[in-house]
Amino acid sequence: MATIRIERDGADAGAVESNREFVAAGQRNILFGLYDDEVKLLDAVKAANADHLDIDDVYTPFPVHGLDPLLGLEESRLHVAGFIFGTIGCLFGFGFMTWVFTRDWPIIFGGKPYWSVPAFIPITFELTVLFSAVGMVTVFYIINGLGPGAEPRRLHDRITDDKFCIAFDVTELSGKEVDRLRDYFDRTGVETVHQKMVAA
Amino acid sequence: MENFVFSSRAKTTNLALMGVGLVCLIISYFVDGGEGHHMRFWTNFLHNSVFFLGIAALSGFALAAFTTAYAGWFVQFKRVWESFSTFLLPGLFLMGVIIVGLFLHSHHLYHWNDEAAVLEDPILTHKSSFLNKWWFAFGTIGFVGLWYFLLGKMRNISLAEDRDDADQDFSYYRRYKKYAAIFLPIFGFTSAAMIWQWVMSIDSHWYSTMFAWYATASLFVAMTALTIMLLIYLKSRGYYTLVNEEHFHDLGKYLFAISIFWTYLWFSQFMLIWYANVGEETIYFRERMQNYPVLFWSNLAINFVLPFFVLMRNDTKRKMGTLFFASAFLFFGHWLDYFNMIKPGARLTLIEMAAHEEHGGEHGGEEHGDTAVMGHDQHADEHDGDETAALAEGEVVSEGDNLEEGPIVDDAYANDNVHFDASAQDEGVPVANEFRGGPPQTRENSREVLATATDRTDPDVFEPNHFVQEQYVSDNELLGHLESAGGHSEALHTLGFKSGYTLPGLLEIGTFLGFLGGFLFFTMSKLAAVRLEPKNDPYLEESIHHHT
Repeated sequence: MATIRIERDGADAGAVESNREFVAAGQRNILFGLYDDEVKLLDAVKAANADHLDIDDVYTPFPVHGLDPLLGLEESRLHVAGFIFGTIGCLFGFGFMTWVFTRDWPIIFGGKPYWSVPAFIPITFELTVLFSAVGMVTVFYIINGLGPGAEPRRLHDRITDDKFCIAFDVTELSGKEVDRLRDYFDRTGVETVHQKMVAA
Repeated sequence: MENFVFSSRAKTTNLALMGVGLVCLIISYFVDGGEGHHMRFWTNFLHNSVFFLGIAALSGFALAAFTTAYAGWFVQFKRVWESFSTFLLPGLFLMGVIIVGLFLHSHHLYHWNDEAAVLEDPILTHKSSFLNKWWFAFGTIGFVGLWYFLLGKMRNISLAEDRDDADQDFSYYRRYKKYAAIFLPIFGFTSAAMIWQWVMSIDSHWYSTMFAWYATASLFVAMTALTIMLLIYLKSRGYYTLVNEEHFHDLGKYLFAISIFWTYLWFSQFMLIWYANVGEETIYFRERMQNYPVLFWSNLAINFVLPFFVLMRNDTKRKMGTLFFASAFLFFGHWLDYFNMIKPGARLTLIEMAAHEEHGGEHGGEEHGDTAVMGHDQHADEHDGDETAALAEGEVVSEGDNLEEGPIVDDAYANDNVHFDASAQDEGVPVANEFRGGPPQTRENSREVLATATDRTDPDVFEPNHFVQEQYVSDNELLGHLESAGGHSEALHTLGFKSGYTLPGLLEIGTFLGFLGGFLFFTMSKLAAVRLEPKNDPYLEESIHHHT
């Protein structure tokens, strides 16, 4: 864990206009605090909103109810992909069976007509669900840069376990502003505060 | 506001609706007397009684099921469902009228209540241990009474909980939960039995094991829709300020989910019957698809297509406008669904009775034999248009007409019907059903199959289909044989448009509004008698802070 303590009290502290000087190109300087409870986290996010602090992101080990509206996140559009893939699966399933049983390989089943729609419906339904599910997972992986071979990017190991994290991007901030963030963390009952360089 | 005040304006509106309903019921009683046997009045009465009684029962089911599942989100407005469930008592009285009519033979809703017909009909005789007036009376009074008792207990416990601020150990809630758990299995079995008696037995030969599920899902959607509409009304009047879009979102999800569940059951019932192709089962759908196509398909459009596309989105369940729109359509749609379950069967009973009265004396034996074999068809097919009036003429529908007009599925049935019907008549052999056995292909189709088969020139590619070819050759021979045996075609009947049967007429809509007014008048009076919010319910806090 590379934790950088930015010295602000030195003789040249006034000269530090921005942390940008300390950050290599292509990197971001992240200041984050870990909380041990999601209720504290929600209160802290509310306090940050009240103080007009610009939260970079919040990381939690599980979905926390009511967090999305506090962060101003808009509703996911993943279900649009689900609908589109579902429609494709529906048309594909029905069209494929129609082609097979009327053009390519007509076989009589149970004395029914070749193009017996009711018999196609369960399979059409299953293919709709399959296409929709697989399509949504694929889209989710692509837009989030996940999937096989993706390098995990996490600020802190315990974010995936039992800690709730609020992160600020302090790359462009002055020492005074970082100080304000640290005060904010102390005020909202944070457990530990860390700073870390991450790839932009 | 703590208490709901049943305003005089709302009272007047509901009373006016009840007045309209009463007038419509009276008119419908006199509109088809004589040969009509007042069937329109009785079917309307049964239709609406069962529908609103079912809504009352399903609101109790929702309370019991959610309570047993430790759910708390609905607790704020549980008084609404409790007041709905009190309608079981008036519902029981309404069904009591049907029972009295059953014993006095003042109506002919149920063919199994016609002793002469049951004696001549082996199927009805076989079913008579369940389909008889005593079982009907016992089941209706006993079971609905039992539901009313258990749900009334729950309501009383919940009201007592409200009055006792000192209760510390949730003793009321525990007792409430116990009654909910007792209610569920009892309701599960008895409601199925009663919906068979009340609705399914109208098509007295027909049966479907999915019917109880199907009919109950229909009522659940109707109940949820009515709850949503009433809650939106109450909110607009300033009540239930803490019931917010989160609660409506959940109710909307129920509306959506159970609509899809209903469609699943609709389709399962249809597909199993279509696939098995057993005549005594297919008759239900053939009758409706052929003679009631608008009713049959609009039922599916309103109750599946509309909620599927309207309620699928997240925000339509959270906006009062779209939710009210969907609820209103679904409420009417499931009323229409019950119309579709009840009316065509009752109309067939009417036709059968008329035919019986007409021909009973002369061809007694022959007709009876046919009744056993054919169900309604044999009589019905002799009459077209206004069947009760045109009895004497007995228009015959020729096979050719049907082949031109009907959809393919019907043609398929038509041909089977024709040939097996013919064989049965000629040889005098009782055949269990007229459809079983033959491939549901028209002869035209069969020839097409043959043509396609022979057109294929590459034997390697086409090898797997050889047996199909052979099969169809033999089928054609069979068909030819039956034809030469002197088959004639009058198996399919077409029924003309008849207001109140083919589609709901003004009288049906009026009666529906009347029953709706009565239901709302009764339940809103009950709601006005208690505090709107169950203030001592242990789940009230959870319900207030509910979010999805």
